[in-house]
Amino acid sequence: MTPTLTALGGGFRAEIQQLRRSRLLIVLTAVEAVTFLVLVSIFGFTGTHVPTAVVDRDGGKLAHQWAQEMTASYHTYGVRYMDARSAQEALGRGDVAAILYIPAGFSQHMAQHSMIRIHFLVDNVNADLTTEVELGIPPAARAFGVANRFPGIRVVTVEKDLVRHEVGFIPYLVVSALALAAFVVAGTLAASAVAREFENRTLAYLKLSPTHPLVPLAGRLLATSAVSAVAVAVAALLVVAGYGVVPAHPAALAAALLLCVVIFSCIGAGLGTLVRRTLPLSALIFGLALALYLDSGSLEPARFYGNRLWVIAHTSPVYYAVGILQYAVHGLRVTPETIPVNFAALIGWAVLAAGVAWLGLRRAVAS
Amino acid sequence: MTRALRHTWTLAAHDVGLWRRAPWAVAAALIPPVALGLLLYILTFNLGHQPIALVNEGHGRYSDHIAGIFQAQAGDIYSLVTTDRANAMRLLNSQQVAAVVVIPPGFDAGVARCPALQPDQIIRDYTYARSGCPAAKLQVTLNNANNNFADEIRRALSETVSFFDAPDVITPVSETQLDMSDLNPYRVNVMTALTRTSTVDYIHYAVIPCLVLLILSVGVTGTALLCARDIERGTARHLALAPVSSVVLVAGRLLGGVLVSLVVIVPTLAIAALTGMIAPPAGHWVPLGLVFLATSVCAAGLGAVLGAVLRGTRAVSMAAAVVCTYLFFLGGGFTTIQFLPAWLHRLTAFVPTSYAIDGLRQSLFYPRLFGFGADMRVLLGTAALAVVAGGVVVRRAWSR
Repeated sequence: MTPTLTALGGGFRAEIQQLRRSRLLIVLTAVEAVTFLVLVSIFGFTGTHVPTAVVDRDGGKLAHQWAQEMTASYHTYGVRYMDARSAQEALGRGDVAAILYIPAGFSQHMAQHSMIRIHFLVDNVNADLTTEVELGIPPAARAFGVANRFPGIRVVTVEKDLVRHEVGFIPYLVVSALALAAFVVAGTLAASAVAREFENRTLAYLKLSPTHPLVPLAGRLLATSAVSAVAVAVAALLVVAGYGVVPAHPAALAAALLLCVVIFSCIGAGLGTLVRRTLPLSALIFGLALALYLDSGSLEPARFYGNRLWVIAHTSPVYYAVGILQYAVHGLRVTPETIPVNFAALIGWAVLAAGVAWLGLRRAVAS
Repeated sequence: MTRALRHTWTLAAHDVGLWRRAPWAVAAALIPPVALGLLLYILTFNLGHQPIALVNEGHGRYSDHIAGIFQAQAGDIYSLVTTDRANAMRLLNSQQVAAVVVIPPGFDAGVARCPALQPDQIIRDYTYARSGCPAAKLQVTLNNANNNFADEIRRALSETVSFFDAPDVITPVSETQLDMSDLNPYRVNVMTALTRTSTVDYIHYAVIPCLVLLILSVGVTGTALLCARDIERGTARHLALAPVSSVVLVAGRLLGGVLVSLVVIVPTLAIAALTGMIAPPAGHWVPLGLVFLATSVCAAGLGAVLGAVLRGTRAVSMAAAVVCTYLFFLGGGFTTIQFLPAWLHRLTAFVPTSYAIDGLRQSLFYPRLFGFGADMRVLLGTAALAVVAGGVVVRRAWSR
């Protein structure tokens, strides 16, 4: 075995031992990664299935159909039937966001196509919620009118969808979040491994190594990458098992996540060299992950944000990773670039990140 | 008594000094709330403005009228590009727009086939209703990569199309205003009333709770790191042997945690008030201060527990970040609680930060402080509990 391989293996073993001694840190790192999945899942609830009380004072078939159209129209409302008093109490407690009062005689009016007024009480807790709740009414009214072939409806829409199987928002979000989970885990572990060398002042000893001083450090980074890959695989399995998301192209998913681990380990090593303290690293990486989340197409194709933000998104590896992950899991194309181009960009990022980390570490060792 | 207070204050001041001299600890506490605040701020700009291409191939007043409605509603619920069909499809394929709406050449003839309702017209022609009318068709091609923005677009288009036939399906005005409901083919006029006198814009509603995260993060991380540091360096034993009552020492540590939070939040609030970011109604500064004080006491107590239970400053800082993040978004800091499913909504009732966030919003946005008393009762109760738990755990850790 050559001295280089010995040094590399030594670094790898040393880091594995170090990580085995700090299981709590690994657990916390994994929890941070899962936190992203939970966080985006909760965000995914925003704007759909707004709990809305329906006080049906009519009780007829058409009144029931009206409420059903509210439920069915674009996931806006989560309808709950209540009496007036319970509905008022629920609104006061914040259990429902609005109350729709279907008046007595509604069904008769609808059957005779005569006008009727419906009262809708909205808890305008914020402008977004209020707009969402109000915007949901015309589609429900339209759906009801079209379904019952009301005269006077002169325009309808005929929709052609680009995607045959529409993906739910939360399954979409959690797949994007896998890239950020990789960033948190791989970045934190790699950055900590490097920063610890500075904190414990052991970097100087590396110069005594019979090989290049960065080789043992590379061994340590290989170890953190291996542990990160396992943690990210667990997160991916959680997405598959917990959210019922089955990858359409598992090989592409594995390749993208592995590339993410390599890139983010190198970025983490760079951050560790820059900060040289272990204490703020996890917070810094957590904060950076949030910033990367902003403009990576994690919510919807990044180009829908406008060209300026889309151009900025290209400076982040997460953009390309999300492009591949959405294709690998849901079979979606969310970037104008093709999947091979996204892979090429990620590989380019990996080479660049490794180069920058190497240069930074070499400079640090030399000084 | 005075002596005990002086000792408490001395230890608290010492802790604040230690924290101020640890810039990395300050960074660890500040980065997550600042990043999350930024995230929420930018996310609000992306809500509800999907890009749509409109192709008007119709020639006539109805085509122009509906195109005009699209133009008028653009900016509020979507952004609009008017172009020809070939370019629209190119924009759709390159993801520059999320949907293409085509007003086809036969649109005007289609509309003309279905006569609009006349004022005062009551329809009783069931044969006509049953047969329906072959309405004009708007062709929509939609990039439905996920159902969230696809539904947003469908809802927005439906709103626009509804407006063509019935501008008054929703009437968010007083009953005395002009009522055109007789022209409405949907035969319903939904009269909307709002429960609150003012509607808070989403940026303020979403970003302001980050102040709670800030105070939580600084308080928990600050107190936890101070406790962990004492244990890591062995100075906890010195404290245990000091000729001062343990109650005084623990009180000093917790007060230090509270002061650390206040050192950050007071200037932040001052800047926010001076720049006009926050403008609480008259007389609401005291309730606002009470929310922050109670939250900082909760944070200090929680931080003391974390710092005494976990070993190592790194583990403590990571755990603090995770705990604060969960407390923040389960407390409704990251979303509107009303949107959450029932089980999650019920869970938030057991998360004290939800009361802090609600209290903060009540004191900043609403004149009547609705439910503020209940919020404060829960928050102060939690603060008392956190102080007792923190005190007991810290005292035990020092004795080990």
